[in-house]
Amino acid sequence: MRHFKTLTKSVTATFLVIVASMLFASSAVQAASKTFTYAMYGDVKDWDPASAFSLEVMMLANVYEPLVWYNPPGSKEQFTPALASSWSVSDDGLTWTFKLRKNVKFHDGEAFDAKAAKGALDRTISMKKGAYYIWSSVESITAVDSYTLVIKTKTPQPLDLVASSQYGAYIYSPKAAEKGADWFNQGNAAGTGPYKVRQWDKAQQVVLEKNADYWGGWTDSNFDRVILKVVTENSTQLQMLKAGEAQYISLVPADMVESVNQESKLSAYAVPSWKNSQFLINTQKAPTDNKKFRQALTHLWDYDTVVKDIYAGYAEVARGPVPATMWGHNSAIKAPSFDLNKAKQLLIESGVTPSEWNVSMAYIGTSEAYKNSALLFQENARQAGVTVELLPGTWSNIWDKAKNLETAPNLQSMTWWPTYATPNDWLIGLFRTEKKALFNLSHYSNPEFDKVLNKGVELEGSNRKKAIQLYGEAQQILMDDAVAIFYADIKRRVARDSGIKGLQANPAYDAVFFHKLSR
Amino acid sequence: MRRYVVKRLLMMVGILLGVLIITFALSRLLPGSPIEMMLGHRPTQEQIDLAREEFGLDKPIPVQFINYVSSAVQGDFGISLRTHRPVLEDLLGRMAATFELTTLAVILVVIVGIPLGILSAVRQNTLEDHITRTFSIAGMALPMFLVGMVLQMTFYGWLHWLPLQGRMNVEVLLDYPFEKYTGIYLIDTLVTGQWQAFKSAASHLVLPVLTLALASLSVVIRMTRNTMVEVLNEDYIRTARAYGLSRRLIYYRYALKATLIPMMTVVGLTYGFLLGGSVVVEFIFDWPGLGGYVVGAITQNDFPAVMGVTLFLATIYLGVNLIVDLLYFVVDPRLRAS
Repeated sequence: MRHFKTLTKSVTATFLVIVASMLFASSAVQAASKTFTYAMYGDVKDWDPASAFSLEVMMLANVYEPLVWYNPPGSKEQFTPALASSWSVSDDGLTWTFKLRKNVKFHDGEAFDAKAAKGALDRTISMKKGAYYIWSSVESITAVDSYTLVIKTKTPQPLDLVASSQYGAYIYSPKAAEKGADWFNQGNAAGTGPYKVRQWDKAQQVVLEKNADYWGGWTDSNFDRVILKVVTENSTQLQMLKAGEAQYISLVPADMVESVNQESKLSAYAVPSWKNSQFLINTQKAPTDNKKFRQALTHLWDYDTVVKDIYAGYAEVARGPVPATMWGHNSAIKAPSFDLNKAKQLLIESGVTPSEWNVSMAYIGTSEAYKNSALLFQENARQAGVTVELLPGTWSNIWDKAKNLETAPNLQSMTWWPTYATPNDWLIGLFRTEKKALFNLSHYSNPEFDKVLNKGVELEGSNRKKAIQLYGEAQQILMDDAVAIFYADIKRRVARDSGIKGLQANPAYDAVFFHKLSR
Repeated sequence: MRRYVVKRLLMMVGILLGVLIITFALSRLLPGSPIEMMLGHRPTQEQIDLAREEFGLDKPIPVQFINYVSSAVQGDFGISLRTHRPVLEDLLGRMAATFELTTLAVILVVIVGIPLGILSAVRQNTLEDHITRTFSIAGMALPMFLVGMVLQMTFYGWLHWLPLQGRMNVEVLLDYPFEKYTGIYLIDTLVTGQWQAFKSAASHLVLPVLTLALASLSVVIRMTRNTMVEVLNEDYIRTARAYGLSRRLIYYRYALKATLIPMMTVVGLTYGFLLGGSVVVEFIFDWPGLGGYVVGAITQNDFPAVMGVTLFLATIYLGVNLIVDLLYFVVDPRLRAS
């Protein structure tokens, strides 16, 4: 009996400790109405706007501003002026003149002018980190007067698009630039954006507070404070959203969408993105070095089933290398269909002996979408007599092998999205001839394609209509050569408090513009 | 005693060198290069080549190893490929969070586990014993991540009693700032007199500490019970009973003392286990400690961070066990005499 009392005392003591902490604890968080909480899947790692190239954009796009913003597809105007109030390009496409906004200050009090803009861009280019390469054709940047910036390029370039990039195009304070990357990476920032950094608690959250002097002004309904909370697990993000602790979350599994939409105050839906997925086909390795063999493979992919069942409807069937939502997409492309008989016919026509109908297929092993798509393809291929060896692995491993022709597979998974709003990002990044393969994992080299593409790039800045035509031709060449199985234009899933207004999906930016939001 | 300590310290150095060699070899031999991963989603070949040179990865592996060791002995564990900060700075910044979590879990394990183990031993084959043993088996069988998620769903999702994740409510952190003298929020908030912040820190600790403690509680209960049962069957205990000494005196003064040495070993090992187990708990609760850092480092092959964390945790683990071994001398006069 005495011992039972001891047991009771132990258990009671523990229980009381827990209850005491709950009684005295802060209650579950109800964010103040002027605070917006966004649950991010990771912490900001690189704070330097010149080199940051990942999820930092969520912070960057609200603390800094580029010269121009790219508007969502379908908007009346393609661009919104940001730090440049207007711009023009010379007839030869080599000189861009940006007229800069007046009476703008950086968060550290420094004045924004042409000299500051030039300093920021010069630093970004000279550091050679992150997305600096978008400025690779720049020959000179000149501050002609306090509010006029002239950028000359070696070849004609679409600098309006480049300047709207979500990476590598932000303008930051010259004083901050002098302090260098170490200063930034302590969690400091000095932009001109509507929010400034109040606090960074490493691996916990970034707190932004309103920049009262923001040139764009404020209304009573704007959020004064934004918390970018680090929440790595999607089930945790979902719980926070349901409890009202977060108003927007970034990781929404497809099977959770319905449960979120059952809550009256929440909303989950898909928005278009510029991400697409494909399996690149190795054009230099047997048997996929044979064009008809490659074409046969494109007919072994069950496009509808993959998009409807494996992606749960959160993708559209791709029609070519450039997503349908991107300007410059060739809508006339006739994409291959899933057709076993046609595939068998092409296999025979290829002349490759049946005993050599063996291909290897590498993909990111942790991706359920890739895995299930690959398994489906393997089974369809088996029915046509093609043996597919599956090679799952981490991206780092499979990329390393794919770059080298000796270890490269026949099929390589790839999901791509652009650094800034241009179709040439796919065409150059994935298919233009490379001396040493980096992302051209089809190991594709076609001088005709390169020529058409390069001409399109030259004209993109000055004659967009002609550039679109040339890009269209380039896309058709890729389809004719069957360089990849283009199968999915991905849609991004978001979930949010349905009382939040002002959210507008823009595939050009992996960010939410908090200044546009209200409750 | 001094010779013993010196000998143990030399052994520690040898073990750490072994750990270093194995970790270095594994990180370099694994296929795939993390350099490209750290440069963003579209690095250029020029950026890759520059980064490899910057991090010394263009040198032969033996040279890389020698460079690393000579830096490490000076406290320089290199730069993290993910955070771009010195690894030691990252580790020190996160250590306090893990220390707070793990230490509280160990304390809970000791104050609950040992009494329950004793109870189970002195009341063998009774209802209390069966309940305690069932509880301890369940604790060992249930995966830590499952326990954590169930606790979250119950106490946050359903009852709204406790917070879901993190170390402190953001609003409280902003409105009641406090100086982070130690990085241990419970201590820092008390020292600075920020009661609201203390309450918030305490409430955020409950679920992760419970989750972490439950896994080891069962081990401590069973060890205490088994050791106690053995001791209670000793002749001197029978003699003490025959003399008519009270049960309280027999159990808590004579028998428990005899179990101290094995219990200290278990507690020391538990501390080490919890340091490793905190990886799962920190991931579930977004606790900004070493565990979360390790997960990111391993999944992205951030080998300076992987090696730094491994050395760091190995040093702590060896240090804890050295302290436990030295405490044997304090507790057991026979060892002092020998």
